[in-house]
Order: sequence, then structure tokens, then C-alpha cells
Amino acid sequence: MHNSNGSGDTPSLTSSQFAATNTPLIAVEGLAKEYRVYDKPEGLFASVSGLFRRTSRLVPALRGVNLTVGRGEFVALLGPNGAGKTTFLKLLSGIITPTRGTASVLGHVPWERADDFRRRFALVMGQRNQLWWDLPAAESFRLHKEIYRIETARFERTRDELVDMLDVRKLLLQPVRELSLGERMKLELVAALLHEPEVLFLDEPTIGLDVVAQHTLHRFLSHVQTERQMTVLLTTHYMKDVAALCQRVVVITHGDILYDGSLEQIVDRFTTHKIVTLDLDHEPSQERMERFGFPCEIRGPQAILRIDRSRIADVLPEILRSETVRDISVEDVPLEEIVASLFRSEAESHAREGV
Amino acid sequence: MIDTRSNPAARRPFAGLRTWWMMLVISLEERLAYRGDFVLGTLMRFLPIVTQLFLWTAVFSATSRPDIAGYSRNDIVAYYLLTMVTRAFSSMPGLSGGIARSVRDGSVKKYLVQPIDYVSFLLASRIAHKLVYYIVAALPFAGVFFLCRHFFPPIPDALTIASFLLALVLSFLLGFFLEATLGMLGFWFLEVSSIVFAYMLVQYLLSGHMFPLDMLSGIGTGIPGLSLADVVRWLPFEYTAYFPAAIWLGKVQGAQLVRSLVIEGCWVVVMAVACRIAWWRGTRRYSAFGG
Amino acid sequence: MNRYATIFATFARACLVRDMTFRTNFLLECVTSLGWMSMNLAFYLLVFTFTAEIGRGTGWTREPFFAFVATGLIINSIVQALFIPSAEELTEMVRTGGLDGVLVQPLDAQFLLSMHRIDFSAFANGLVGVGLLAWALQSIDHAPHFVAWLLYPLLIFCGVAILYSLVIMLAAATIWMGRNQSLYDFWFYLTNFSRYPAEIYSGPWGSPLRALCTFVIPILLVVNVPARVIAQPLEGQGWGMILAAVIAAAASLLISRMVFQSAISRYRSASS
Repeated sequence: MHNSNGSGDTPSLTSSQFAATNTPLIAVEGLAKEYRVYDKPEGLFASVSGLFRRTSRLVPALRGVNLTVGRGEFVALLGPNGAGKTTFLKLLSGIITPTRGTASVLGHVPWERADDFRRRFALVMGQRNQLWWDLPAAESFRLHKEIYRIETARFERTRDELVDMLDVRKLLLQPVRELSLGERMKLELVAALLHEPEVLFLDEPTIGLDVVAQHTLHRFLSHVQTERQMTVLLTTHYMKDVAALCQRVVVITHGDILYDGSLEQIVDRFTTHKIVTLDLDHEPSQERMERFGFPCEIRGPQAILRIDRSRIADVLPEILRSETVRDISVEDVPLEEIVASLFRSEAESHAREGV
Repeated sequence: MIDTRSNPAARRPFAGLRTWWMMLVISLEERLAYRGDFVLGTLMRFLPIVTQLFLWTAVFSATSRPDIAGYSRNDIVAYYLLTMVTRAFSSMPGLSGGIARSVRDGSVKKYLVQPIDYVSFLLASRIAHKLVYYIVAALPFAGVFFLCRHFFPPIPDALTIASFLLALVLSFLLGFFLEATLGMLGFWFLEVSSIVFAYMLVQYLLSGHMFPLDMLSGIGTGIPGLSLADVVRWLPFEYTAYFPAAIWLGKVQGAQLVRSLVIEGCWVVVMAVACRIAWWRGTRRYSAFGG
Repeated sequence: MNRYATIFATFARACLVRDMTFRTNFLLECVTSLGWMSMNLAFYLLVFTFTAEIGRGTGWTREPFFAFVATGLIINSIVQALFIPSAEELTEMVRTGGLDGVLVQPLDAQFLLSMHRIDFSAFANGLVGVGLLAWALQSIDHAPHFVAWLLYPLLIFCGVAILYSLVIMLAAATIWMGRNQSLYDFWFYLTNFSRYPAEIYSGPWGSPLRALCTFVIPILLVVNVPARVIAQPLEGQGWGMILAAVIAAAASLLISRMVFQSAISRYRSASS
């Protein structure tokens, strides 16, 4: 890894050094992970022969991805279940080792699990607790303080700030296992941020939460990230998380990165048409509307058309000329739909390849 | 055992048998799915006997007696191996706990509502599981017994073998009804585990699992002529480990053998009835509380 | 390090509080382990009605033998209380992926996974062991040399260290295999060999077994060495065994740590 002041390889860099030298905080190259999966025998005969010989296959969870993330970025890893997002996070946090490829986070190789590295980041997994189940949260936090070697005054200040921000003070003395999922998630976040990490990994944090809790989470993460200039990597399969939190989206399906860029650009990249909604003064006929755009949905006096982008400039004036239009609106295809069809087409092409 | 009213297919002949067969096949598959586990696991159960073998050898070497309570050193080893066989029939892992748990979490309700006889169902599934276990453990068991054949006296006559097999079958039923009744106590007590624990403790000592019960004949009860061994003979515990082993080794013969078989049979009947009564009273009580 | 001591103290305090909150359960657990132990003691008393000594010329007559049993109770209760509860939870952690959370923290994983839960009810057996030891020692004609009193706690520590290493190896196997195995079964079978004095393993089959369990998997050094030191007169050959116990303890700790580190470096993690 290059250091522009010429001191050669350094084992780790501080965040300011990252910013100064423009080195990416997270640099991933050709990272791949394959699992050997043993086939489960079906039926009695297979069960017996399974005693002597078992067939296995190599399942690729991640197929050699490249990624760089700079300091202070908030990146979403978006993809359907089984896409490889969580595997990716586990590799970056050092939980598992890769089959191929390299990664560098904060100047460290994650799977070497250096203590210096582990003290500088935090991992929060949705629906899976890192808090000690039997202890009240307050005790867990104190434990956290010891484990991460947080100095007392700083610890108390950070803790109070986070606790008040999420309004969980009254929950601190109850054993964690008695709390609801939403309450536990809030406490997990407090614990994760107590040691003021520079990098935050979030694995499906909103899963299983109700709408209110999701919203609170979004606001909290947004605020905390900008305030502390943390680099955040969040995996999710909900568009809502992405839309609320980040500018940069990385779409992962089947272990590959399909797209890496901003949210707006997804619309430009992956859609060919726009949605035009017409309010007319009477119910139009299907064939008449289909002259302008296809497919077409008629709802009373309203027609919803899909018109190719390149033709919009021509079609719209024609509509206005030939029909009595009370109201017209031109919108992008909703993000959810784009992403969902992206996932689907990927699944189909993979099925065709027999992978 | 199967609800034939709502499911006409269930009225076909042998419907119950077919269900039972399916239970058998599924539990066999489950067992085999654990590959290495079951061969290793079965063999490992014999390891404690190795320790006991060396212990008793050391005891015999320090004393000048030819036998202890009629058992030579070889007899004792053969005895332990045979109690393994008995316990393969009479031990019911998870039976009482499972019943108590289904009472506690309410899943016993479905047996109250549908015309399925819970006790028969449990018995049938236990038989299935046991058969699977025997199929799967037969080879390791046979291997160990073959290797240890010189500890055993010559194979007994057909009548003794028949009594041995009868005692085994009875020990299965006795073990089942004993634990099932204990489990039924879950209708009255929230924490059945302490009662079950006390039962396990007494059974551990008095079933012959730890040592041949004949060794208790030297211990008196305060009543002249009545040793501890005599008292234990009337209790059901010895039939879950000691009795069939003692038959095979010829330690119980003739009139005493017949007497003990009758006692064992009586205990099976007593516990079966107790189980039935406990189920009947228990479900009545349960329904009264609205479940 | 001081940090580890503080963290351990926090865990211990939390477990104690929990045990005291569920008091009846705690007492029940104490009674349970005391119950099993009494059954075994009754068995030993029965055996001694048939013989005066276990093994000819071994010195394990009734009182020394009970001192042996007492030593076993003390050592096993320490391991049952401090290390086994955490190890048992490990199988669950591997299954649910809770192990991921442990690997991410800047703390030694072996320490966290083997010491975060303590079962105080297991100390009950140890306390009985101490009482049994006192009774046995005062019935023996010769009193232990004061050197024996110095060596005893050290050798108890070595015994605990050897057993701890065994727990860690089993934990490593659980992590490596990634399956929900019952750690406790293996534990029971392995430690079953150390229930009686090593002298019972003699003869063409016994001697190799004894050598295996002394020098390869040194479980026979766990209880035998301290028990012999405290209950039998110190003789020349005793010193070799004492040295062997200390070396075995150190070697076991090192080897088990290496095996454990290797297991977590190959960790597969439950897929999501």
C-alpha cells in the first residue's frame, strides 16, 4: 500500500493519515470466498451409502470483488438474501478468511485479527446479539470499557451521550434477554459506538424492526455518522435503508458486484423508460392509450403509461394535442422496482448458466 | 391411534402400521445422518466398563477370595456387558421430561382434542426408536461381545435364553411405564425434574447398574434373615438392569427365577395401570383449568 | 494482565448474582451433584467390605483411597465450576453464530470462551471433598510431611491445568467441526479413566493404557499425583511423577492453546 511521504509499508495508519494521503480506508481486491458443502442424503438408500462416501460441492459465496471506500463514506451493500453481503462483511471484519484475494481495512489485514485493528472498528449484526445475554446492559457497557480500554471519563461522556440520544436510560438495568428486539438493537448500537470506532459495519440492522424503530435507527445512524465522520458499511435488502442513509450504493448479487455508484445513477443506468400518469376527463380506451406507451394501466379516468425515455420528448406533446389532459406527471421507475428486477434478472441468468 | 373420522384414508387397513413404519424410516435416516457419531458413540458407551474391569481385577488381586457374592472376576465383567444390553431395552431417554414439557407448554392439548391415544402413541414411537437403535448399534455391540467372549460362561440352555428374552421385553415395558408415569406428574407439579432426579438416583444405586445386586446380600436390614438384597428383589428397579443379566449368568434359577419373572410382570401391570390412571386424572384436571 | 482479572471478576459477579436470584434452582443443582456423589461413595464403601486394599501392595487402603476420592472431588469441582459451563455454551454459540461477536472483540478469544460463565453450585462437591479429605487424613496413621502440604496445592493446580487444556481441545474440536456436539459426553468418557488410582491399570492391557493416559493424554496425572503426595508416604519414585505432572501441565496448556488458535483461524461461521 503506497504512502506518499515515502516511508514505505506501514502496518497501520491513523484516520487523519488516510485523509491526508488519500489512501482508501477500505481497499478490497479480488476477494473471493468458497464454501465446501456436503450434500444431504435423501431417502434411506442414500443415507446408508452416505456413511461411506459423501458428495460435496464448492459453493462460491463471493466471486472476487473489488471495492474501495474512503474515509467518512456511508456505503450500502444492497442485495437479496444469499448474495454474499454478509460473507463480505465477515471477511472485512476478520471473522473468516478468504479463499482468494486481498483486503485492507484501516491499514490492517482483517483476518489477522490484530488487537489494534479490532479496537478501531465495530460490528453490529441484526438479530444476533453481541451483548452478554444475562447481564444488564449497564454491566455489558462496563465490560466493553475494559475490553476496549476506554478511559473512564471519556467512556462516561460517550455513554451518556449515546444513551440519551437513543433514549434508553431506563433500560440499562434490565437483563438484556428481557428486552424487545428494537430495544436490544438500540443498546447494541450504544455498545458498538462506546469505543468511538472509525469504521462501523452493520449487517442487516433493521431486520425484524417495526417502522418506527427503523426510522429512529436511520436518524440516529445519519446523525452519528456525520458527527463523527465514521466510515460506515451497511448491508441490507431493504431499499428504505439505502434511500434514507447513503449516497453510494453497491449492488451485490450472486457473489458479484453488479453496480457501484450513486442512487440516482441507478435509475439512469438500469431503466429505459419513465412512468407517465395522465388524468383525463373521461375513461380512455386501452388501445388508444397504447399508441403512446406500453404497458398501459387504466384506472377510471386515469391512465398510467410507460414511455421509453428517448421518445418522451416526442410523445408528450402528441398526447397533449390529441387528448384532453387535466393533469400529467412524469416520474422515474421506483427504486424498489428497479432493484427487484435487477435481482430477478441476475437470478434468471445464473439459473440459465446452471450455477 | 389415528383419527379416522376426518381422514378417510386413515381407515384403510394397516393405516396405523403404515404411520409407524414411516416413523421408523425417518428416525433411521436421522440416525444415519450423524455418520461417525453413532459408531463412535455406541462404542464409547462401553468405555466405563473398561474402568470397572480394571477396578474389580485390582480388588480381586488384593483379596484372597475366589469370588465376591458368587461372582468371579470374569462373571462381573460379563455382568456389566449384559446390563448394557438390558439398559438398551429399559432406558427411556427424554420420555418423562418430554411429557412434562408438553404439559407445561400446552402441546399436550392436541392429544386431548383428537382421538389419538397419547400413551399408545408414545409407546409406538419408542418402539420405533428402539428398533432403529438396535439396528444401528447391533454391529458395534456384536463386535464388543465377540471380543469379550472369554469372560462369559458357556451359553445357557434354551429355557434360560427364553427367560432372558422375556425379561428383556418386560424390562422395556417396565422402563417405559415407570418413566411415562413420572412424566404424567407434570399435570400436578410444575417442576417434575426434581422427582425424576430422585428416581434416577435410586435407580442408579438399586438397579444393578453399578454393581451386581447379589453383593447386597451381606448387608442386613436390622431384621434377622432379611438382607438388603432380599428387599431390593421386591422393588421394580432391579428389573431395569440386573435381572436379565443375572438370568443369563445363571445367578437366578428355578423357582426363584419364576418368582422374579412374576414380580416383574406384576410391576409392568401396576405401572401400566398407574400410567393410565395418571393420564386420565391428569387430563381431567388439565381441562378443568382451561389449558 | 490486570484487565483480564477485572473482566473475569465482572463475569463472576454477574453469575453469582444470577445464581442467588434463582436460589431454589441453585440449591437444587447443589443437591443434585451431592446426590450423585453420595451414591458413588456408597459404592466405594461396599467395595471395601470385600477387600482391604485396591490392588495388592499399592497402598490404597480405605482411608488413603477416600483421600484420593476427595482430591478428585476438589479438582473436578473446580473445573466443573469455572470452565465447563462456558464450554457447554460454546456449542450453542457456534450454532447461532454468536461466536462471530467474540472474534471481533480485541480480547483473547480463548479467555472469553472458556471463562465467561461460572457455575457456583459445582463448588458444593469440592467443599464435601475438603471435608472428606480431612476425615481421611486424620484416620491415616502417618501424617503428611509438611513438604506434602506445600506440594498439594501446586499439584491440584497442575491437575486443573491439565483438565482445562482438555476442555480447550474439545472446544477447539467443536469450533472446527462446527456442529452441535455434546461436549459433555466426551468429557465424561475421558475423565472416567481417572476416577480410580492409576495402579489398577496393570497387566498386558492395563500397562499400555496406563502409559497412554499418563504420557500422551495425561489424565492419570491429574488426581493421582496430588493424592499420592498427601495420602501416601513420600518415597523416591514419587518425585519423578511430581515433575511429570508439572511438565504435563505446562505442555498441555501450550499445546491446547496452539490447537485452539488453529481452530479459530479456520472458523467457517454459520452462513446467513
